[in-house]
Amino acid sequence: MPASSGSSEVAIEVDGVTVRYPGAVEPAVRSLSLRVNAGERLGVLGPNGGGKSTLLGVILGGVRPSEGRVRVFGHEPGRALALGLVGHVPQRPSLERGFPLTARQVVRQAVSISLPAWRSFGRDAASRVDEMLGLVDSTAYADELVGSLSGGQLQRVLIARAVAPGPRVLLLDEPTTGVDVSGQRRFAEMIDTLVSTLGLTVVTVSHEVRTLAATSDRVACLSRTLHYHDAPHGLTREVLAELFQHDVEAVLDGGVTAHPHAPGEAGVHERGGAAS
Amino acid sequence: MRTIDYLFNPVYDGDYWPPVIATLLVALLAGPLSVLVVLKRLAFIGQGVSHSAFGGVGLAMLAAATGVGFFGASEGGRLLSPLAASIVVPGFALLSALAISRLSRSSGLDAAIGVVLAVSMAIGVQAQSSAGRLALERGLARPPSLERTLFGHVLEVGWFDVAASAAVAIAVGAALWWWRRPLLFWAFDAEGSRVRGVRGGRMRALLLGMLAIAVVVVMQVAGVVLATAMLVLPGAAALRLGRTLGPVFLWSVVLSVLGAAAGVVIGFELDLLLGPSIVAAQAVLLAIAMAAGVARGKMARGRPR
Repeated sequence: MPASSGSSEVAIEVDGVTVRYPGAVEPAVRSLSLRVNAGERLGVLGPNGGGKSTLLGVILGGVRPSEGRVRVFGHEPGRALALGLVGHVPQRPSLERGFPLTARQVVRQAVSISLPAWRSFGRDAASRVDEMLGLVDSTAYADELVGSLSGGQLQRVLIARAVAPGPRVLLLDEPTTGVDVSGQRRFAEMIDTLVSTLGLTVVTVSHEVRTLAATSDRVACLSRTLHYHDAPHGLTREVLAELFQHDVEAVLDGGVTAHPHAPGEAGVHERGGAAS
Repeated sequence: MRTIDYLFNPVYDGDYWPPVIATLLVALLAGPLSVLVVLKRLAFIGQGVSHSAFGGVGLAMLAAATGVGFFGASEGGRLLSPLAASIVVPGFALLSALAISRLSRSSGLDAAIGVVLAVSMAIGVQAQSSAGRLALERGLARPPSLERTLFGHVLEVGWFDVAASAAVAIAVGAALWWWRRPLLFWAFDAEGSRVRGVRGGRMRALLLGMLAIAVVVVMQVAGVVLATAMLVLPGAAALRLGRTLGPVFLWSVVLSVLGAAAGVVIGFELDLLLGPSIVAAQAVLLAIAMAAGVARGKMARGRPR
């Protein structure tokens, strides 16, 4: 069960953050405020260019806000990274797939980095790595080279890599892009197991309603500014249409498929927006 | 066997030992480094840095010819004292590595290397030619030929150079070992390593610095033009043979030293230039490794490249 001591502890606090990229006229995000409690699973939904990646960048310390401040468990982002509080699974991994490393070694890398140079990789650390690979169902291909893994397998390995050092926050960037429906459901189940076993706080960023509905307690809609909705019931057609500036059919009951151009399919929520 | 004769016949007074030892030390150093050069695709940077070192050689010679005391002209019939060369040339190589790194941020790596390489070659050629003229006027020892700088001069290597090569090999080896985890993590996944607290800028500077220093000692053996070959071939071959990083590094060291030793022996026996002979031997090893890799890939799952 979640090891989040004190249910009201704030995991991530984003306070009045505005980010202006050099050369851009409009800020990428404006006056963004966000509070994620420890143990909470927040989904951030938004269109491309809505500032989702900027938000993650700000929490990861890679993007400096022009205004406002960010705290991760009370620390500024750089310090939080140094303390190993944050795990991140990128949307498009920047890694070199031709590297001669096995899946297990990829996970090991993230753990061994905090060891002093003269210390060797101990048995405890090794069993921790194996345990994490087990949690994401990757034991079967743990000794395959990264280059030979499928996209989905690689992603699981990267999730294992993100959680192996024992972070308290896990950031998932578009985790199910290009994954089919059954794959998305299995993904949601895996995240569930992971989060409850490790007691993680999770922020998932995506433009896919279904993924977020299945993996989040609360969904924030981000299009430069934020609106909150309870997932999945608050995500009505109107809310989504406004967010994506496009007519959207949202079918959220248990993650059943939604086709943007197939109106009339069962299960559309037509309730009023529950913006808070 | 001429090799045995050269090394053990008292007639030669042990003169061939320093070149042979220096070559093996350089190969020992180039082995592990070449894995990173190949994986991080730094071959062209290496080329840029080694050609830049040529500028450093030219400047050091010019200083010697103008008679600046420290550069100690005509010691042992040389225009340039080895000590002076071993300070100026690495200094210049490091500076040019830095320049490439800086320029690449604004103009892209490709253009940065092109610019730095060309400018320092221009400086080097000009300085060497002026040094030659000056030395002649002042009755100093003649500067060595351009060819020597370009393609190596391993047979002129003395014990001082052996000591310098050993020092560099130890220093680079120690740095590689000490920073092995952040270096490899960064090389594999720069953004992923940043999230775990690895400073990419520092890793990049470290690797380029090691490369610049290594290039300078490799140059003694293989010269400016062929230095990169020794810093690429063993790593490229090792990546065909080893499946994971540990074996790859091991293979790289073995192949580097084996290729260098074979090159020296072949060079001695057939009376060839040693630098090109070593590069050729290492290239043959790469070809064999590729063939072996293909054969193994057909038997089992291959390493996708």
